[in-house]
Order: sequence, then structure tokens, then C-alpha cells
Amino acid sequence: MLDDQTVELNLPSKFGYERIAIGGLAAFAKSVGFAPPRIEDLKTSVAEACTNAVQHGNKGKPEARVLVTAKFQDDVLWISVFDEGNGLKAELKDPDIDRIIENLDPPVGFGVFLMKRLMDNVEFDRTSNHLHEVRMMMKLKG
Amino acid sequence: MNQRPNEIKIETHGDIILLDIRGDVTAFSEPSLNSAYNSAKESSPKKIILKFEDAAYINSGGIAVLIQVLAQTRRNNQKIGITGLSEHFKKVFNMVGITKFATIYPTLQDALSAMAALS
Repeated sequence: MLDDQTVELNLPSKFGYERIAIGGLAAFAKSVGFAPPRIEDLKTSVAEACTNAVQHGNKGKPEARVLVTAKFQDDVLWISVFDEGNGLKAELKDPDIDRIIENLDPPVGFGVFLMKRLMDNVEFDRTSNHLHEVRMMMKLKG
Repeated sequence: MNQRPNEIKIETHGDIILLDIRGDVTAFSEPSLNSAYNSAKESSPKKIILKFEDAAYINSGGIAVLIQVLAQTRRNNQKIGITGLSEHFKKVFNMVGITKFATIYPTLQDALSAMAALS
């Protein structure tokens, strides 16, 4: 249900539009009392979720959209990023920079890695209304 | 919403090469960063400073590009300093392990002084 503690953004599936999401959600988080360092964590996480939605979820389909919703309830900010893909096929292992520097691993996986560390919880592979959803949570306190 | 290309100024400070990187750092920064590093490499420097704009947007694509540059500096036995980062991106660079291969300095002056003293 949409109310005055819920916002929605419907974005083109193109790189660069994640900046609209991070600007909008940063303003929303500030308005409900999050401190600047947590807002920076949120901005990075939202940007990574949106660019993953464009690149891996919608896979460059020009007509696809990226939907971002945020809801603040009981001192918790819930953010969902929806795309038209099928989600992660398997649990991604954390990137190993030593192996990447030695050219043993490709330089991938940093986006999911950062989302998991910067938010209080992240769930992948949820589906809702035939869309793939990444759901992230950040607590105002603690 | 296209990203404007990075403008990267290359300066020499004694035996240190400074890459002054303007703009956001994303996967689209790869050509400009590689080009700047290749230009810097021509004088065979042993010390390089990467300076970012403190308001720069850096995402995981940009981090991947930076790590590929760090891989080259490691193969070329170069010492790397980083400066100009916000507190948030200092934390992020530490989280992903960039600080194992490069030292973050609070200011450019700190970076220049500390790296000049390195052998």
C-alpha cells in the first residue's frame, strides 16, 4: 500500500539512471533521520542493485524497466529493486582481491559484496509479480 | 544519462607521477584510466599517486577498473598512493582489499611527502 512513508521510482534500464535512485533515496533516508555515513552506505548499495538490475537482470533489453521502492516503517528502511530477470543462479562467492591481482579470478562480484556489507540485510532471488526482487534493509538504530 | 569522460591530468613531482582523476569512476572509466596509466608508465616511475575528486561517485565497475590498474602496477613493481577519497570510499576501498596494494593518504600533500620519503 502506498502511503507517505513509501516512495517508488520507475527507471529506464540504462546505466546512469541509478543516480536518480540514489539521489531520491538519499533524500528520503535523510528525511526520516538517517545519519550521513549510513546514507552513503545506502547510496552505494542502491547504485549497485540498480546497475546489477540493468546489466544482469534486464540484460540490456531496451523496453525493460528498473523499479525501485522504499518504505520506512518501525525505524527500518526497506528498499526493493525489481528487474525482469531471473535472479542469481547460485550463491556468489566473495571476490578475492589477491587472486584478481594475480589474474587468477575475473574482477567481478564487488557489487553484491558491498551491498551485503553495507546494508543490515540483503535478500536475493525473491520474486514478486513475475519480477525479480533484491530486497535490502537498513535499521535507523543499532 | 551518459557519464562524461574522465579528465586525467598527469603531473611529475620528483620521482612521483600524479594522476589527478576528475569525474566519476565507473566501468566507463576504463579507457581513460588505462590510457593515463600507460602514459605515466613511459617514464618508468616507481611511485604513482592516484588522486580522486572527493565528491566522485565510485561504483563496483570503477573499483574493478582500479584493481586492474593495481595489478599492472604490481607487475611493474610500483608503489601506489591514493588520496582524495571521502570517508565512505576509504571504508569501501578497505572492505574490498585495495588497501593491501595501495596506501590511502588523507591529503595530496601527505601523499607526496610520505611517498617522497620511500626508497
